[in-house]
Amino acid sequence: MLKHNILLYLRNIKKNKGSFFINLIGLTTGLACAILVYLWVSDELRVDKFHENDTRLYQVLRHQPNGQNEIATYASNSSLMLRALQEEVPEVEMATALYTMGGTMLEGGEKKLRANGNMASEDFFKMFSYPIVAGDKNSLLQDVNSVVISKALADSFFGEGNDPVGKTLTVKHGEDQINAVFTISGVFEIPENSSQQFDFVLTYKKFLELRDPQDIHWGSNSSRVYATLKPGIDVKNFNKKIADFITKKSERTTASVCFTLFSDNYLKGNFDNGVQTGGRINYVILFGLVAFFVLAIACINFMNLSTARASRRLKEVGVKKAVGASRKSLIFQFLTESVVLSFFSLVCAVLIVILLMPWFNDVTGKELKFALEGKALLGIIVITLLTGLISGSYPALYLSKFSPIKVLKGKIKTAFGELLIRKGLVIFQFGISILLIVAVSVIYVQLHFIQSKNLGYDKDNVLVFNREDGLVSNMETFLQEARQLPGVINASYMQGDMTNFSNSSWGHSWPGQTEEAKRLTFRHAHVGPRFIETMGIEVKEGRSYIDEKPNNESKIILNETAVTLMGLKNPVGTLIDMRGDNREIIGVVKDFNIQSLYEEIAPMALLCRTEWVRTLVVKIKAGSEKNTIADLTALYAEFNPGLAFDFRFLDHQYQQQYIAEKRVSVLAKYFAGLAVIISCLGLFGLAMFTAERRKKEISIRKVLGQTATQVIVMISGEFAKLVLISIFIALPIAYILVDLWLSSFAYRIPLKLWYFIGAGLVALIVAMLTVGSQAIRAANSNPVNALRDE
Amino acid sequence: MLLQLNNIFKWVQQGGKRVFLLKDINLQVEEGEFISVMGPSGSGKSTLLNVLGMLDGFDEGEYHFMDESVHSLKEKHRAELYKQYIGFVFQAYHLIDELTVYENLEMPLLYKKIKGSERKALVADMLDRFSIVGKKDLFPTQLSGGQQQLVGVARALITKPKLILADEPTGNLNSKQGEEIMELFKKLNQDGVTIIQVTHSEKNAEYGSRIIHLLDGRKVEG
Repeated sequence: MLKHNILLYLRNIKKNKGSFFINLIGLTTGLACAILVYLWVSDELRVDKFHENDTRLYQVLRHQPNGQNEIATYASNSSLMLRALQEEVPEVEMATALYTMGGTMLEGGEKKLRANGNMASEDFFKMFSYPIVAGDKNSLLQDVNSVVISKALADSFFGEGNDPVGKTLTVKHGEDQINAVFTISGVFEIPENSSQQFDFVLTYKKFLELRDPQDIHWGSNSSRVYATLKPGIDVKNFNKKIADFITKKSERTTASVCFTLFSDNYLKGNFDNGVQTGGRINYVILFGLVAFFVLAIACINFMNLSTARASRRLKEVGVKKAVGASRKSLIFQFLTESVVLSFFSLVCAVLIVILLMPWFNDVTGKELKFALEGKALLGIIVITLLTGLISGSYPALYLSKFSPIKVLKGKIKTAFGELLIRKGLVIFQFGISILLIVAVSVIYVQLHFIQSKNLGYDKDNVLVFNREDGLVSNMETFLQEARQLPGVINASYMQGDMTNFSNSSWGHSWPGQTEEAKRLTFRHAHVGPRFIETMGIEVKEGRSYIDEKPNNESKIILNETAVTLMGLKNPVGTLIDMRGDNREIIGVVKDFNIQSLYEEIAPMALLCRTEWVRTLVVKIKAGSEKNTIADLTALYAEFNPGLAFDFRFLDHQYQQQYIAEKRVSVLAKYFAGLAVIISCLGLFGLAMFTAERRKKEISIRKVLGQTATQVIVMISGEFAKLVLISIFIALPIAYILVDLWLSSFAYRIPLKLWYFIGAGLVALIVAMLTVGSQAIRAANSNPVNALRDE
Repeated sequence: MLLQLNNIFKWVQQGGKRVFLLKDINLQVEEGEFISVMGPSGSGKSTLLNVLGMLDGFDEGEYHFMDESVHSLKEKHRAELYKQYIGFVFQAYHLIDELTVYENLEMPLLYKKIKGSERKALVADMLDRFSIVGKKDLFPTQLSGGQQQLVGVARALITKPKLILADEPTGNLNSKQGEEIMELFKKLNQDGVTIIQVTHSEKNAEYGSRIIHLLDGRKVEG
């Protein structure tokens, strides 16, 4: 029977090539989208899930009220947290503290390499399941002079296949004044699906050794802390119990403690007012839905075309029923057809996926591989099977229900165009397409806005590079010489990055301070003289640090927001206590954005200090970049012999913040395009059948004097109505959704009417062009031919 | 006795009034009969045939088919019954255009879940019996009307039914082709198959052993 059905289907394809190709193209594209998104989603869902203790591995987070009636969530904790958790909390099985060193120089023999390092306490490798390929897992991170390095680092220093355990490396890290030889005690590997990526690990003992004992207290948060809970502990109850852990330790602090599953942090890393609100998971869900809808649109094409062409199949249904076919066997037959078609499409889709893989990886920033094996294969087959069954379900139920005599006697009026369901499906298709068009244009405009927004500083033509190696001690000299170069406008240094001032503090005091304002949290950064000029930040009052001697403890510069929130009338000259007593406010700068535009500008302080400074910034003249960079490279080489000048442009770094949005916009663009194309293919098919079905009617009308134009309007109008309805349904929904997306930005574009009207017009025009060709053909046919047929 | 109709009524509602398609039909058919149903257009011939073939229901009355009370059977059971005992021949042949002669003949057997080897034998037998072996790989559109109807009859016969219902089987054929089909029916009837045909032609009606006349849904004598 199956063979029979497939045979019948193949011959039907031969007869109806048009609708076959429409369905094939639609389902192929739909499936290709679904497969790509499936691969991407399953890769995202796998991140950090490889740790053996995954379900018990928690990160300790800190919820800190910021003095503006909001709660900020930090991953950093005091180094005292580690011991306290280990000794005082019985639910905790193991705990580890981790300090991120960032860019570090490693030297071994002749080789010098930049690497990212961590400092972690003993249980780190017991809690996190990074495979240990050399060394004894149980004795790692114990000797204060030992280091554990990654396989990649080991290979580049000692060559592949050589056991590095017992060999030594020199670690140089400016900020923490490390410049010492460490013995390699082990080698680890980091799986691709790990969110933590680092090259080497020193001991946490070393970190504590280097730390000024004065800086070790419950208010100084420098480390991340992780813990595994004993099996069977309910984390909700546990969190209630542990919440006031820090406040009990130190009266001055107001932070509460919260344990969140470590592997959740990758996808749900965003916190809003102390509540986990998602993060990457939003995009995972979004694209899951979009792929589903593209596939659904293709399925709808299949349903519509199959039922539209029902009249051609009805005879077959009638005959089969008369010779004894049950309804069940007919349903089975039609489902077989749709499943066969979806597997045809799968073959094409797989080819497309293989071809598009490099492009897709580029867009998503992933390294996905397409392999037909195991879970992926199963997932893809299930998707395909479901696609076939769903798209075949309606035609199967519809076609199989007719009674044979009516069909064979031709008593069924082929007025299927009036079918409500089919119209509903077309409306659904176009609704989704319109929704996507609106989304794409709004995302595009918002991204454009982000890129062109006045940030309060000038991000163009600024070179950014790390303070490392020779620059650690000779930074000032380097900058002085750099300023002499012809193409250099200005040069300075700063702590952290322009795109993220992560340091913050509270508990400061100033004249006229209210009780509430005591909790006001300030962002602050250490910057060099001329920093404000280099960045093009505007000074509103007073002056900037120009020829200030760095590390002068008596001066401070604030931003406008800080002054407003502090309630200072005449800020310049006022003495305040902030990271040091009796600091004089020498200037106020206009607000500038330091975090992503999702965040409002925070109160901010700039201190002229060299400690913790990791970044140099050089503003160069536009037009002579090439020569200037060559000059800077030469200068850099004088200070750092043998080290490549590794710089980045600030505007590029700025764009990197919005890489997720950029990816969304690119993907959304293609998905929206596909949705529109597939919808139109379906509409084309329907128009074709409508024209055919109404051939006789049109001929009679023409004989009675209707003009060709009137015929075109009549046929196009039928479809225009559907698209108009979908516009009216889709636009309000689109408005709600894009407004929701935009509301997550602190700085956003206003929604303009034309985004919506434009999207509707695009859909309508494309639909009319599609239907028009068929309508014109029908209108221009010779009526005599159609009437003679009867 | 093969089947019996007792006081069968069938109607449709039209503008609040009942329009009768069949009115008080009583009929007994013995095995081995060859009955012709005649009457003008709209007299209910085809409706009667469809009721007999269980493709259509009725509103009142009783229908007994081989000791089964059709009027009280469930749809599924009824389908089982006609699948097993009744074959249909249509005026417009109703062969499936996308299937070859061979496959068209095989189709009813598929729905009876007959095994492959047996199907092959049955189809081969039928091709042989109707001398259409040479045409088995052709599609219906490649055959003449008479040949198509031959295949139609062969398809009806392949499940070895007790009763053949033919709705104007020669209506689309020329007189020579029609005659051939009628001769075939006669032969089948002699072999023991019960046949009920609807026809407009007096001449074809003569092939039957009994003629039933219908007028406005009623059986009339004469």
